[in-house]
Amino acid sequence: MKATGNAIVAALGAIACAPLLDLAMVASADESSQPDLSGYWMITFGALPPRREPTPLERSLIERLPPGTVLLGDSGLPEFPPGEFGGLEVLEGALDAARRYDPEVQRSVATTCQPPGIIYSMQGPFPIEIFQGSRLIVMKLEYFDLVRIVFMDETDHPDDWPLSVTGHSIGHWEGDTLVVDTARLQPATLLNNGLDHTEHVRLLERFRLSEDGSTLAVTQEIEDPQVFTGRAARVLSLERGDGHVYPYACDPSYGVAIETRDKQ
Amino acid sequence: MPRRFRCWVLTMALLIGVATPGAAHHSGALFYDPDGGISITGTVTKFSFRNPHAIIELAVDNADGEQARWIAETSAPSALRRRGWSQESLAIGEEVTLEGIRARDGSLLMRVTRVTRADGTEVGVPRGIDN
Repeated sequence: MKATGNAIVAALGAIACAPLLDLAMVASADESSQPDLSGYWMITFGALPPRREPTPLERSLIERLPPGTVLLGDSGLPEFPPGEFGGLEVLEGALDAARRYDPEVQRSVATTCQPPGIIYSMQGPFPIEIFQGSRLIVMKLEYFDLVRIVFMDETDHPDDWPLSVTGHSIGHWEGDTLVVDTARLQPATLLNNGLDHTEHVRLLERFRLSEDGSTLAVTQEIEDPQVFTGRAARVLSLERGDGHVYPYACDPSYGVAIETRDKQ
Repeated sequence: MPRRFRCWVLTMALLIGVATPGAAHHSGALFYDPDGGISITGTVTKFSFRNPHAIIELAVDNADGEQARWIAETSAPSALRRRGWSQESLAIGEEVTLEGIRARDGSLLMRVTRVTRADGTEVGVPRGIDN
């Protein structure tokens, strides 16, 4: 319940700050040169790289990943079955935990409304809404009502920032690409099948808009030396749409139905 | 250690313990057999249209004349709304046919991909590029 409470507090804060974003945008001297990522975005339900060839836009981000980065094939709707880790070289301790993982824990009344963390949540099959200012960029996820604040005017992660499912994000522009560096994440889901990241994980995301503004390509670059060697990445492709994200308003009674199901 | 401080430490440990492990992502791949296609027809006894996933409970007649209670899991209602569903989409007592895949553990649990009413009409619209 603690994590859900944090998300609610963050959401209320984002709503309260919304008018300030407009002011921040007006105050920006060089903002007009940056792409506007604001709006409603829905992840593509079809196959994503490496399950298909990347588009030129996606390729432009993939080429910026460090050599040897493992592209995970579970973006969007696909999920890895038990025991598959997408080609990652998983360290023994994390591997043991994943092997002992009981998937029933995902669906109990106690846990069913615990958000899985921002790394897994960003690639899920739910829309996001972006509010872009020059000092802050706010990302409101429909999934679990998560809200991310990207501080565009900060350059470091405070050591005393509390660990949370959304962590602490700082961003900057590299040409037309938004780069978001996230740390201070609490241990949470990396893959769907029991492989979790630790609090030492670092997430580096790149967001790049297509020329016509209709598509937003994203790469998640993930590093956690306590879980796997090298780097992993996911490629996301989001299509611009109309409207707003809906409230998620998770109801834990879902877990009752699953827990009380009958055997054959 | 002072008693009040011990109590605080224990409380924080419990809070962290609750918040950290066992996050929910409601994986389909772990629970359902992608090759376990199934179609069942029965009477709706309960319909919960709430996130994380809507639940349909169905009474299904067995070959031996008894009724089995099936739990059918759909997509998230926030996604279903974009495909024409609402909490009024199914009525208690209505006969429907559910198509989907069944649970790996052999329990009376399935993941729904299509719901068809007795008159042959489908509930909602198929998933598209933007829903």
